[in-house]
Amino acid sequence: MADPRELMQRYQAGDAEAFRELYALVAPKMLGYLSKLTKSRAAADDLLQQTFLKIHRARAAYVLGADPLPWFYSIAHRTFIDEARRLQRAVVRSAGDDVPEVPAGITGESADRTDEPRADPELAKAALEALSGLPTQQREAVVLTKLEGKSVAEAAVIAGTTVGAMKVRAHRGYEALRRLLGRKPPTDQVEKPDNKAERVAR
Amino acid sequence: MSDADRSLDALAAEPPPLAPPLSALLEGELANLKAVAPRRPLRQLGILAIASLAYVGLLLAFMSLRADLGELPRAWIIGAGSAWFLGFGLATYFALVPRAGSMTPRWRAAIVTTAITSIAFIVLGLNVHPDGANSLHYGMPRLIHGHGCLWLGLATALVPVVLGAIFLRGAVPVYSRWIAAALGAAGGCLGGLLLHMHCRIADGPHIGIIHGGVVVIAAGLAALLVPRATNR
Repeated sequence: MADPRELMQRYQAGDAEAFRELYALVAPKMLGYLSKLTKSRAAADDLLQQTFLKIHRARAAYVLGADPLPWFYSIAHRTFIDEARRLQRAVVRSAGDDVPEVPAGITGESADRTDEPRADPELAKAALEALSGLPTQQREAVVLTKLEGKSVAEAAVIAGTTVGAMKVRAHRGYEALRRLLGRKPPTDQVEKPDNKAERVAR
Repeated sequence: MSDADRSLDALAAEPPPLAPPLSALLEGELANLKAVAPRRPLRQLGILAIASLAYVGLLLAFMSLRADLGELPRAWIIGAGSAWFLGFGLATYFALVPRAGSMTPRWRAAIVTTAITSIAFIVLGLNVHPDGANSLHYGMPRLIHGHGCLWLGLATALVPVVLGAIFLRGAVPVYSRWIAAALGAAGGCLGGLLLHMHCRIADGPHIGIIHGGVVVIAAGLAALLVPRATNR
């Protein structure tokens, strides 16, 4: 697998092919992250393009030798937050009163995902639907720590918050998901959510 | 394993979606791709420090050193001046230079430095303020008459804040307010250094509240205004 650091170095040197390789390497996972945060696949696609456009225009800010992936994810996070706020302001202007947080309505299936075998699709769909009912910060915390394989520390950096705050968000999000997805397990089988996050990350 | 765990595991096991092709806008920009120099944080730190100190030197040459300078304890002049310089240097370093191998700014160190400089210079100024025969004393009743120092300090703070914002454009998508506050605190310390060498008002309220207050106000203003420039 190509080294993102090396690709960034070539890209800064003017190699457009390096950018395409970087896109091919990073975009699918980042699209998965954005898809689980946003209202629709189309919105996630749009955010992905906006994110890479920002990365392209900020490429001179990259420090040689640094791992670019957390920076990319932070830009994606910032792009998502800015777009969510913009949409909320637009809804407020048109509605004329306070609007509660807009939950994501995650679409499940996509035509271009039929080429690979999938895990239990019904369970996955249930998880997506439950995620869509979470507040944005909790949803993002669960997505990063339990679905994207990030440690709590990595997730905190991406979201621009502290480790403590990320733990709280992930814990509350996980507890809310458990309530949404059905009965709790017997108490002797309960794992602490932050340990679960670390286990998933490993 | 709970229903939630099974569902999340099933979702995590889903293959990532296929990414769409690059947008026409991106393709157009890639067609004209030019090489860019990578960001060099230490070089930027050096440029900012030299430019800022040169600016202070020019201002002092234009406005002159304080008239009571020869009457004040040399240890205090050097010690307080060093403290202002250290505050400027550390805050700028933490704002501009990430850890090796990382793009993430040192936001925790930036917060701590901002807090310490904001509090320390007010407290020290209120309590340690030697004077000489040519010193002026306004005290609390005439505190507001010393507002010129506040504006001079804030004007001096502009140089590191503006340069720092330019250097950090696009580099700080998160934690930008804390980094901006550190740049403001750095600028405020630079302003404090200038005032330390120029202003002969020697009472505690003026040195603590006005000179020290420059750090607080510069940090606050930078935190409010700079992120719009650094977040792209």
